[in-house]
Amino acid sequence: MSSDRSMWPYTFVRPGGFHFEISVPVWLIMQRFQQSEMHMAEAGGVLLGRHLRDGSAIIVDDITTPLSGDRRARVRFFRAQRRHQAIIDEAWRTSNGTCTYLGEWHTHPEPIPTPSAVDWTDWQRRLISDQYSEPIFFVIVGTKHTSAWEGRRDGGIVPLSLIQR
Amino acid sequence: MANVQMQFEQFNDTIRLGRFEENATLREKRDIIRRKLKANLPVVFKKYNEICPEYYFLDQGSYEMDTGTKPLDGDYDIDQGLYFLVSITEWPDPVKLKERVFEALDGHTNRVELRRSCVTVFYSCNDEPLYHVDVAVYSESSMNTDGKSYHAKGKQHSLPENRYWEVSNPQQLSDTIFDKFPGAEDRKQFRRVIRYWKRWKVVNFTAGGASAPNGIGLTLLTYYHFQPRYTDAFANKHNDLRAMRELVEVVLASFQLVYDEDEKAYVERLIVKLPIEPWNDVFDRMTARQMRTLKDKMTVLKDALVYAEGVADTRAACERLQMVFGKDFPVPEKQETASVHPPAITSSGNSA
Ligand SMILES: [Zn+2]
Repeated sequence: MSSDRSMWPYTFVRPGGFHFEISVPVWLIMQRFQQSEMHMAEAGGVLLGRHLRDGSAIIVDDITTPLSGDRRARVRFFRAQRRHQAIIDEAWRTSNGTCTYLGEWHTHPEPIPTPSAVDWTDWQRRLISDQYSEPIFFVIVGTKHTSAWEGRRDGGIVPLSLIQR
Repeated sequence: MANVQMQFEQFNDTIRLGRFEENATLREKRDIIRRKLKANLPVVFKKYNEICPEYYFLDQGSYEMDTGTKPLDGDYDIDQGLYFLVSITEWPDPVKLKERVFEALDGHTNRVELRRSCVTVFYSCNDEPLYHVDVAVYSESSMNTDGKSYHAKGKQHSLPENRYWEVSNPQQLSDTIFDKFPGAEDRKQFRRVIRYWKRWKVVNFTAGGASAPNGIGLTLLTYYHFQPRYTDAFANKHNDLRAMRELVEVVLASFQLVYDEDEKAYVERLIVKLPIEPWNDVFDRMTARQMRTLKDKMTVLKDALVYAEGVADTRAACERLQMVFGKDFPVPEKQETASVHPPAITSSGNSA
């Protein structure tokens, strides 16, 4: 896979006209886990990155991928807390608090991904129970399209629209 | 999307070459040449039993226009106009007058050349070029019956048709160019955009290569096609990225098909006419191949500008701009672009 320099990031429009952007290096990692073939199990992890100072955008600079302790099946993924949290803490510390937790991602074996009932329940629970800087994002990588949702502590979850290049 | 105005202005501050008034070193180098001519011209003319005409100096080129950029290779280019109070009928052969100037400067450094458009004094240190001074010779306007100033063209041993006086008025050219943008803020952006072009040229064309578009051509392209752009005009918040992107797009669209005698085919050319007499195309010496290269490189520039404008991340935008503008275009560290947040505590997750 070439990291073609003309490759665009995945940029989504957020409520209020702000942006949520999955950087090219991160997208290249996600692409490796796309469930394009029958034997590939679901994958996922956390999103890490920056809230730009001027408030114009939130950028995903890094992600975690399945780690030992996680459980993967064709349409099921369980992310165990400890090892992912350790990576979140490390990124936060070495960036002087600027690289922060931005949400969750996982794959679906369908072209245009939509959240399952399990996904919705987990997202709603997380929005209430976790400690984070608002908002956080949920990304589902399908076999053709990638979609994103934005969530707030009050439980509101809205889909974001992708900018077509 | 990405706001890179701060980085563009930082880039401008890094590459900008001040005017003579601000730059003592370059002013001193200019004055050395002026003093040398003052001391030697009368002697040289006397040698030929001629009376040394009266003359004066005028700054010209990017120093005068305040559109200069620092050279990457250290070879500064200083332009001087030398105006003789003589008419073109008194001195029908302009090369003869240039020869007097050449003789007055020859031996000053170990490389002085009489070139087509000027007499050039090169300064170097251990074979590394330091700077060169181009002295362009003129016949002053008040001396000519038509009231026009003329530029002495031609070299020693040039055929008669290649030695001629060409109507030329650098001051009028400069006034014409800058009067188009009377607003102080518009004019600042106009000058910055010219500097971005010039640095792009130095970074993307091999040094000394004849294939590079000349500085006056890039200045005139900006004069003809630039539109000031602001994110907030009332607060004087400029948008150099958009101004530059739109300019490059318009310039790319203005290449036109012209029949080329050497290639025996229609080729795409940029025609950039001087907005004052003699109205010549300042790119007319570029070959069809050089024009193609210019268009290709401009397309790469446009793609980078479109990308920088389209991505949300300031850093990603700057990384891409650095590829076309060179290492003086700043790329901020990730930390500099982001706000600080308290640590997050997450829980295990289930998805399906
Ligand atoms: Zn799911």
